[in-house]
Amino acid sequence: MNLRATLSHLPREARDTLFLLGVIACVLLPLFPHLPLWAGLFAGLLLLWRTGLALLSRPLPSRWLLFALLVLAVAATLGQFRTILGREAGVTLIALLLALKTLEARARRDAMVIFFLGFFTMLSNFFFSQSMFTAAAMLVALLGLLTALVNAHMPVGRPPLAVALRTAARMALFGTPVMVALFVFFPRMAPLWGLPGDQLSGRSGLSGSMQVGNIAQMALDDTVAFRVRFDGTDSALPPQSAMYFRGPVLSDFDGREWQALPIRDTPNTPALLEVQGPGIGYETTLEPNQKPWLLLLDASPEGPKASGLQAFMARDLEWLSIRPVSEVLRYRATSYPQFRHGPLTETRTLRFSSALPADSNPRTQALAAQMRADPAVSAGGTQALVDAALKRLRTGGYEYTLEPGVYGEHTADEFWFDRKAGFCEHIASSFVILMRAAGVPARVVTGYQGGERNPVDGYWTVRQSDAHAWTEVWIEGRGWLRVDPTGAVSPGRIGQFTRLRAPRGAFGNAVDRVISPGLAQQLRAVWEAANNRWNQWVLNYTQTRQLDMLKALGFDAPDWQDLVNLLAGLVAAAALGGAAWSAWERLQHDPWLRLLTLARKRLAQAGLALPAHLPPRAMAEAVRAHFGAAGEPLAQWLLELEALRYAAHGSNPAPRLKQLRRQFATLALPTHSA
Amino acid sequence: MTETVFRRRSVASALNPAGMVQRRFRAWWMARLPRTDTTLLTQRNVYILPTGAGWMLALTLLVLLVASINFQLNLGYLLTFLLAGSAVAGMHVCHATLRGLSLHLKTPTPHFAGDSAALEVQLTSERRSPRMAIALAVQGSGQWSWTDVPAQGAAVVQVAFAPARRGLHDVPVLTAETRFPLGTFRVWALWRPAAQVLVYPAPEPHAPALPPGESLGGDAPTTQSAGSGEFDGVRAYRRGDPQKLVVWKKAAQALATGTDALVSRDTQQSQRSELWLEPGRTGLVDPEARIARLTAWVLQADRLGLRYGLRLADSVVPQGSGAAQRLRCLEALALC
Repeated sequence: MNLRATLSHLPREARDTLFLLGVIACVLLPLFPHLPLWAGLFAGLLLLWRTGLALLSRPLPSRWLLFALLVLAVAATLGQFRTILGREAGVTLIALLLALKTLEARARRDAMVIFFLGFFTMLSNFFFSQSMFTAAAMLVALLGLLTALVNAHMPVGRPPLAVALRTAARMALFGTPVMVALFVFFPRMAPLWGLPGDQLSGRSGLSGSMQVGNIAQMALDDTVAFRVRFDGTDSALPPQSAMYFRGPVLSDFDGREWQALPIRDTPNTPALLEVQGPGIGYETTLEPNQKPWLLLLDASPEGPKASGLQAFMARDLEWLSIRPVSEVLRYRATSYPQFRHGPLTETRTLRFSSALPADSNPRTQALAAQMRADPAVSAGGTQALVDAALKRLRTGGYEYTLEPGVYGEHTADEFWFDRKAGFCEHIASSFVILMRAAGVPARVVTGYQGGERNPVDGYWTVRQSDAHAWTEVWIEGRGWLRVDPTGAVSPGRIGQFTRLRAPRGAFGNAVDRVISPGLAQQLRAVWEAANNRWNQWVLNYTQTRQLDMLKALGFDAPDWQDLVNLLAGLVAAAALGGAAWSAWERLQHDPWLRLLTLARKRLAQAGLALPAHLPPRAMAEAVRAHFGAAGEPLAQWLLELEALRYAAHGSNPAPRLKQLRRQFATLALPTHSA
Repeated sequence: MTETVFRRRSVASALNPAGMVQRRFRAWWMARLPRTDTTLLTQRNVYILPTGAGWMLALTLLVLLVASINFQLNLGYLLTFLLAGSAVAGMHVCHATLRGLSLHLKTPTPHFAGDSAALEVQLTSERRSPRMAIALAVQGSGQWSWTDVPAQGAAVVQVAFAPARRGLHDVPVLTAETRFPLGTFRVWALWRPAAQVLVYPAPEPHAPALPPGESLGGDAPTTQSAGSGEFDGVRAYRRGDPQKLVVWKKAAQALATGTDALVSRDTQQSQRSELWLEPGRTGLVDPEARIARLTAWVLQADRLGLRYGLRLADSVVPQGSGAAQRLRCLEALALC
């Protein structure tokens, strides 16, 4: 017997259970990679166990065993997270509870409990991903849960699941306008209480410190950091090689790790920025990263603009929000590729930027002294020193690689002399150490370089893998100048944008072989564009956009009260619509019956109360008996009414009915009894 | 003892002002309902309230909303609002399951007190989609009968109804309910059918044999036949009885019930006496016990195919036999 036949012969209870288990698996599966391995396996085993019981029609385990399993699940969660509160522990626990609950699911009440637990589990999926794929999977799961619930409320016989599915789909369809209205108009507010500490843990991004090796992890991360849409045509844009999105600037080196200067020191110091030439306007959609840095193209004097956003420029030209970016943030900015910044003459802070721990990287210090001693360099000043260092990178057999191995204590020494291989952060860090050893103020700038233009919608996508580290060197009379030593090692990394890719998996290679790489790229572009739309319209629908939309609707200074009013208005409109519809539905009730009821009411007023179930012929007899000859016209009318209903007639009865109604209005009611 | 407990409770509830208000309200509400054997459920007589599960859903929605706000999950908002929208649609579907349905009570057949009997209700739907999971019950009994009503069709439901007392009863208030599709709302309608149902007295179990017949001439009844369980007109088959004396109708019944007992006509006695069933001849004092025994006798006499009559305090059912006679007697016993 094949599977289909087996399934169709299962008792209804078993069939419903299997369906519910399938839905639960659908809810839990996307969560699997985010659960501790033991929890995922535990939940999976419980579901398999329940499936076996349902297939074999075996009794469910005893309450004691279930209780023991519950205690085990809670204890294991406690052991793993030291708490059962908090996001990670909560998600683990709810997944286990859902799987456990299936082992005692029998009655309708249990279907309800599973239904509610299922929704919490669905929501917890969104902690980890809000992609279109997750949304689609959860839509399927929602329909599945609704179907299971509807099915649980059809106790008669063995209705096909398709009937329940149709009802569920219809409810979801009717619910969609409600969803859209609420989504658009429900006032967006700030988190009600502080976010738990583990919020967004595991998401990579730039940070305020850099230990050699950080960005390597990001190079493997294909997730989107932000998207940019430039005003005007592409021809007006700077070349890709000049697109440096500025993030944390790292000036403080302790021999091992680069740190940004503490933020509180910076706001009062002027950045000393002078811009020249035409500006480029653009709009950036920044993914939430829990960091304050607002990525901008170098350099923007006015900074990012978005309602509700408070940003300031730090001394070293980076823009910071006063609050970490915890939701998708969209801002407008104007940047000037030609600019000059920093003090033109030596200051005390600059001396801080050439500090180097005394015992750090002795060979690099020696190299710096050696280069300084070169007469050509000493004649040419700082610029000549920079050129000499870049020349060394270009010609000294240095190699750009994502897998440079593990560096020891003196990273710059190892880079310059031993390994001669690394990627942007090794190169930038070593370069800055060399400059500082030579007494030149220099610093590491991290951020993103380049990006990818999506030909479908024209948006530029900047990924975590575009994270980059470059350097800035201070030259007297010219201020801070950007130097990208990585470009000297690997010109391809900058500019032509043949980025070094992380080694691709077997699947990726297979895709390239089977589908042509061009087609794969095309598909990817379409997918990215769709994903961007999704982000713009769904994920990025924040308070800002909500208020923008109100403005577009004609509100001058919209606030959340307007939203509430609008929402209340919509509810009132919907209620009115419902009332109108039900009134209309009442009118649709048999007009013949309504006319008969009217006649009965009039007779009751005239003193002849007749029961409601009396047919017109019997009413006519009663009228004759009660009123005698005076009642004859009314009796005739009643008989005609009866004939209209029951006698054979081919034509539409509506005109005749109208005639009878008019006749009834003019009918003189008998006032006295015979 | 249960009766005293019950009485005490009813006294307590009579004194409880809230209970009194509730009862008043109930009575007023019931009085508003017109008695009719056919009713169309409309907006006016279909009620809706959320169930416990419905409140639970509301709480779930609230928690989902708070989580969406706190974690700033736009997909969480979408999920919450889609679920809310579906629940609203579910409320409408739930209400529409009863709205527009017409209920018709089929004329109830009489039955014996204490028997589980059924009221037959026909549910007719003119809608082009089926109506699912409609439950009917006598109000307050909790014995629900479930049915689906097909699209533009009808379904018949038997509602359990077991009145304890004999007599002519009003059909109790019936209630139709549904929680389809989500169980979050209870939609119900109350209905007072106009029909009445006749309840025969419960026959006494293991009633003694029928009393002897009265002789036509007013002679004293023959005691001999009463003792041996033989009655006027018939007696148990004896070997040697001619075939024409065997009551074949009874024999078929006896075969069907598996007793194999043949009955012969007793030509000598059938003309001499007639059977009258009277309260006085039951030998009992309690009126209800008398009626129970008389009922048992009526059934017994009918089973034996006798001619019999019934004399009650204020009514007399003349001599007769057959199904019609049985019904006449049972009706008289039910209503006396």
